[in-house]
Amino acid sequence: MKKILLKVRNLRVNADKKEILKGVNLEIREKEIQALLGPNASGKSTLAQVISGNPKYKITKGKILFFGKDITKLPPEKRVKMGIALAWQIPPSVKGVKFSQLLERISKEKVKIEDGKNLFEREINVDFSGGEKKISELIQVLALKPKLAIFDEIDSGLDIKRVEKVAKIIREKLVRKGVSVLLITHSGEILNYLKPNLVSVMLDGKIVCQGKDFEKVLRTIKKYGYEKCKECLKKI
Amino acid sequence: MAMRSVKNASKKFNFWQIDHKVLQILKGKGIEILSSPEAWEKFDFVRKIFEKKPKEGYFVWVKKEVDFPLMTCITIASPKVSQDLRNLLVIEKGIKAKANVFCNAAKNNLCGVHNAKGKILLKSGVSLEYNHIHKWGQKDFVNPDYEFILEKGAKLIYNYQNLFPPENLNLRTILHLKENSSANINFIVNGVNSKIKIEDGLILEGKDSQGIVKVRAVGKKNSRILVKSMILANSPSRGHLDCQGLLVDKDSKISLIPALICQNKEAQITHEASIGKISEEQLTYLRMRGLSEKEAIDLICSGFLKI
Repeated sequence: MKKILLKVRNLRVNADKKEILKGVNLEIREKEIQALLGPNASGKSTLAQVISGNPKYKITKGKILFFGKDITKLPPEKRVKMGIALAWQIPPSVKGVKFSQLLERISKEKVKIEDGKNLFEREINVDFSGGEKKISELIQVLALKPKLAIFDEIDSGLDIKRVEKVAKIIREKLVRKGVSVLLITHSGEILNYLKPNLVSVMLDGKIVCQGKDFEKVLRTIKKYGYEKCKECLKKI
Repeated sequence: MAMRSVKNASKKFNFWQIDHKVLQILKGKGIEILSSPEAWEKFDFVRKIFEKKPKEGYFVWVKKEVDFPLMTCITIASPKVSQDLRNLLVIEKGIKAKANVFCNAAKNNLCGVHNAKGKILLKSGVSLEYNHIHKWGQKDFVNPDYEFILEKGAKLIYNYQNLFPPENLNLRTILHLKENSSANINFIVNGVNSKIKIEDGLILEGKDSQGIVKVRAVGKKNSRILVKSMILANSPSRGHLDCQGLLVDKDSKISLIPALICQNKEAQITHEASIGKISEEQLTYLRMRGLSEKEAIDLICSGFLKI
C-alpha cells in the first residue's frame, strides 16, 4: 500500500464567523490522482486554500497532516517548501511585478510551456484572459516542484482542446514523476483525460461520497445533478 | 540606485562632487560644464539666474545634441557635511537629451545635509528625459528645490526616484509650462522610518500646454509622508494629477493633498488620489509561492512603485 501523503481529519473551518467546512475527512496517498467534485459554494476551494495555509480561514477543529507531520498551524510558505502547491481558481493580480520576476523567485529552472511564452514579460495576472490565468497557475505549480499539486478548477472556462492540453501537461510533468494530484472540478471535464484513482463529492462543507469509478460518478451527476448526491447523503 | 551601480557609472559622470570638492568634470563637444561659482564668474546670464555667487554646485550648458546621457553625481562621503548647492542646466533650442542625476550618501550614518537649489531651462523644442535618483543614509537631511522652465514646444519626462530615503526629505519642485510644452512627471518615494514632504506645482502658463503628475508613495516603519501636489492652469491647457499611497504598517502616515486651480475657462484639469493597504489576498498568493511575508510585502511595494 502506498504511503499516505495528506491526511485531513475532521476539519471544521470558519470564514467571517460562518462555518464553511463541517468536518471534512480526506486522505491522499503518494502517486495518486484524486478528484473533488461538488456544486458551487460547497466548500471545495475553501478546502484547497486551508490545506495550502490561507490565514484568512479559521480552523475551529480537526487537523491537517502532511507526511505524518501536523501542518495545521504552519504558514503557507512553509507548506510550499514541504511540497504543497495550489493553482488558484481566481488568482489576484500583482501590478508592476512581471510574471518572470515571480518565477525567478520560485525556481532557478525555467518551466517551458509553449502557451506561456507571451506571459513572462507581463505583470502578474494583469489583463490576463481566463485561459492565460490557468496557464500561468499551471506554470507556477510546475516551477514549485511539489509533492502534492492541487488544481482548483483548472478546467473551468477552457475550451475542450485546452482542457486536453492542460491535462497532458499535468500527466507528463507531474503524474509521471510521481507527484500526487488533487483535481477540484465543478464540471468534471478534465477527469476524462486524467482518470483519477478516487473521486470524492463535497456537499455543504462535507465529503458525502467517495468512489473509485469516476465515470460512474460523473454519469450520475450529469444525469441527475448533485441533487442525487443529496438523496444519497440521506441514505448515509 | 545601488552603490555598486553608482561606482560603475562614476567613470561617465560629467560632473562629480564629493562633499565640497569637485572630483571630476568630463566635457563633451558642444557641452559646457563648470562648477557653478566658475559659471557665475564667466557668464552674464548665469549671474542673472543665480541671486548671488554660489558656493558650490554645477553648471551644464548643452549647446549641441550628444548621443550619450548627461550624468551628474553629488555625493556626501564624510560625516556631518552640509552641502549648499546651486545647479543650473540649460539646453539650447531643439535639442533632444537625457540626464541622469544622482545624489547620494556613501554610507548610511553620515548625518549629512544636502541643500540643493536647481534650475532647468529647456529652450523651445527641447526634449529631455531627466532621471533624478536619490539614495541617502538614514540620518541625512535633504532639501532639494528645483524649478523647471519649459519654453514653447519643449517636452519633459521627469522621474524622481527615492528608494533609500533620508531621515528627512523636503522636496520642492515647480514647473512652468509655456505654449505647447508638455511634461510627464513621476515622483516615487519609499518611506522607511523617514519624514518626507513633497510639494510640487505644475503651472500651465501657455496655450495648449499639458502635464501629468504621478506620485507613488509607500509608507513603512513609522514614516510620515506629506504630498502637496498642485496644478495651476492659466491658459487653455490640460493637466492631470494622480497621487497614490500604500500604507504598509500601522505606525506610518501618508497625507495626499492634491489641489487644482483653474483660471482659464478653456482649461481642463483633473485629479485622482487614493491611499490603500496591501491586499491580504495578494500577500497570501505570493506566500503560497514560497515567499516569506516580508519578501511578499517588498515585492508588492516594488510593483506599486513602478510607473
